[in-house]
Amino acid sequence: MKQFGKILNFELKNYLKNKAFVGVTLLLVAIIAVVMFFPRITSLFESGDPGDSTADLPVLLVKAEDPAQAEMVHQTFAAAFVDYDVQVTDKDTSYIKDQITSGNAEGAFVMTGPTSYTYYVNNLSMYDANEAIANEVLQRIYQMNAMIGSGMTPEQAGEVMNIQVTSQVEMLGKDQMQNFFYTYIMIFALYMVILLYGQMVAMNVATEKSSRAMEVLITSAKPTSMMFGKVLASCIAGLVQLIAIFGSALLFYNINKEYWGGNEIVDSFFNIPPELFGYMLVFFLLGFLIYAFLYGAIASTVSKLEDINTAVQPVTFLFLFGFMVVIFSMTSGNVDNLLMKVCSYIPFTSPMAMFTRVAMSTVPWHEIAISIGVLAGTTVGIGFLAAKIYRTGVLLYGTRPKIGAIIKAVWKA
Amino acid sequence: MILELRNIEKSFGEKKVLTGVSFKAEGGKAFGLLGRNGAGKTTSIRILMDVFPANSGEVLIDGKPINYNKVGIGYLPEERGLYPKKTIIDQLTYFAELKGMNHKAAVKAVDYWLERLGMMEYRNKRLDTLSKGNQQKIQLVTALAHDPDIVILDEPFSGLDPVNAMLLKDVVKEQIGKGKIVLFSSHQMSYIEEFCDSIAIINAGKVVLHGDLHDIKRNYPRDRLVVRTESPDQILADFGASCKTMETGDLLIQLTSPEEKKYVMTRLVEHYDIDEVKVYEPSLNDIFVEYAGNAAAEG
Repeated sequence: MKQFGKILNFELKNYLKNKAFVGVTLLLVAIIAVVMFFPRITSLFESGDPGDSTADLPVLLVKAEDPAQAEMVHQTFAAAFVDYDVQVTDKDTSYIKDQITSGNAEGAFVMTGPTSYTYYVNNLSMYDANEAIANEVLQRIYQMNAMIGSGMTPEQAGEVMNIQVTSQVEMLGKDQMQNFFYTYIMIFALYMVILLYGQMVAMNVATEKSSRAMEVLITSAKPTSMMFGKVLASCIAGLVQLIAIFGSALLFYNINKEYWGGNEIVDSFFNIPPELFGYMLVFFLLGFLIYAFLYGAIASTVSKLEDINTAVQPVTFLFLFGFMVVIFSMTSGNVDNLLMKVCSYIPFTSPMAMFTRVAMSTVPWHEIAISIGVLAGTTVGIGFLAAKIYRTGVLLYGTRPKIGAIIKAVWKA
Repeated sequence: MILELRNIEKSFGEKKVLTGVSFKAEGGKAFGLLGRNGAGKTTSIRILMDVFPANSGEVLIDGKPINYNKVGIGYLPEERGLYPKKTIIDQLTYFAELKGMNHKAAVKAVDYWLERLGMMEYRNKRLDTLSKGNQQKIQLVTALAHDPDIVILDEPFSGLDPVNAMLLKDVVKEQIGKGKIVLFSSHQMSYIEEFCDSIAIINAGKVVLHGDLHDIKRNYPRDRLVVRTESPDQILADFGASCKTMETGDLLIQLTSPEEKKYVMTRLVEHYDIDEVKVYEPSLNDIFVEYAGNAAAEG
């Protein structure tokens, strides 16, 4: 136990004193700071010159043969197209086309009747909503006129047109839309951290082996202490990094809260229900540990550093499989499909699969308990198995033994 | 303190690596564990250090099973290597702490040894900035800093210049003087011969020779003579097949029996121009080649 503490301390210092580790963490915090301060910074520039704002707006031309119609369309369009400077023109079509192609105007509506027009535009953008807006405005004018024509006062007609529907949603389960965002971030964070730190643990073990520091280490400390010390150190380092990143995000968000203007997605992320946060932590820790043990054990069988990547591939593929299942299920909207249900009990996929289901659907507590129990038990088992493989593996130099040979050796040891 | 390995058997898979390995090493004396490459020396040492268990057999201290929590072991492995990117002081204290020392005592012990080996100036340097010989001296500290009861040195002199070799010899003598069990494993027979009182030769996983080095040499039949002469041709011609030239240039004459010694010696001195004649005592090198070499040829 004392030895384990020493190893944990030594390995943890390795991470925290590592320039790359500190550098990357600070860089990420800086990026998050830029993102979180972005609305505040942009608002500084926006509030500068509110007076002559119409001068910079793109021009939208309107033309109608009937001057009364021209006047009415001008007024209603000016109210509907707030991002444009709507101007009336009585020039002919070729002039209008010239204005558009030369860039003086962005588009033009030439009325051919009360509810028909030609929309002139240079490049029709994928997101061009002008036509839809114009259609709606013209429809409303037509409806208003029809109602007034049939004897209603303008006020009555206005009331009919602006009738408000009130509704309430009573959610019995979860709001998938709202939870999607932070579940996605959590799954992605898990993905990044497991792959990154798994590789780091693998690298750490393989470096000790290839530099032969292992020869002294293995005679000085118990393999279980070595394995658990290394993996827990990487786990703590990973948590420190995550806390630095998400903590700074939370801090910067609170500083700039007013500028985010109650953005629902961002808000939901910073207001995760506590019990969900708890599950996140549990699945995160166990998922991290189980993969870190696997990476460490496999790396101990490698003699040369350049062989690590091929050696850890099967584990990486296993992990990617779980990741893919979860991401596809999330985007399909059905996180309770059969594959997800199966995956949420398999220890290597359950950290992501079960967490996603807990976050985005309603899972009975006993199912969650079984999943966590299986995962925790397997993690401890894999930990001790990893230590055994480690003891056998680190002393084997030369060509990498086959998996069967390792299992045999571990069995007999 | 007496360390004893008794009937150690070890297999890796189908391959039998050690067959009934037994030997004894005493405190205050150096013990030489000899064998050719792959004979089973390192495996024996690893079993002795509890890196992995033997299939059967015992490791005993004073007749009782060894308690690794009480008996400290220091080990200089043949495959040298520590953390190349770490500072000397950081890694040496780490290794000493792993052996059970507290931080303060570890720093003190490491500083003592750095001073003793003349390495104090490298204390805060990274290991990979040091020369190979100096790295080796640093590695020696990992074997000695925690003041172990048993010191195992695997090829300790390889890669050291004569001055450093001398320094290491002094350190080894000091350790022996403190009553520790010093276990040598080496191919450099001259060093073993200089330090070790008793030896064991392992070949193909078996101990083929074990005992006090003096006794081993004494027990060799005294039926060979070494002759140093400036004019060997006449002797070679007269003695025929029983006389041959050794690597040193001296002649080695095989007698039909030890009793013939006096007669042949007198004859040599009287009839030839002789610088020196003496009874041949095998060097450790000869013993090693005879035991390790032959057994390998049989196997």
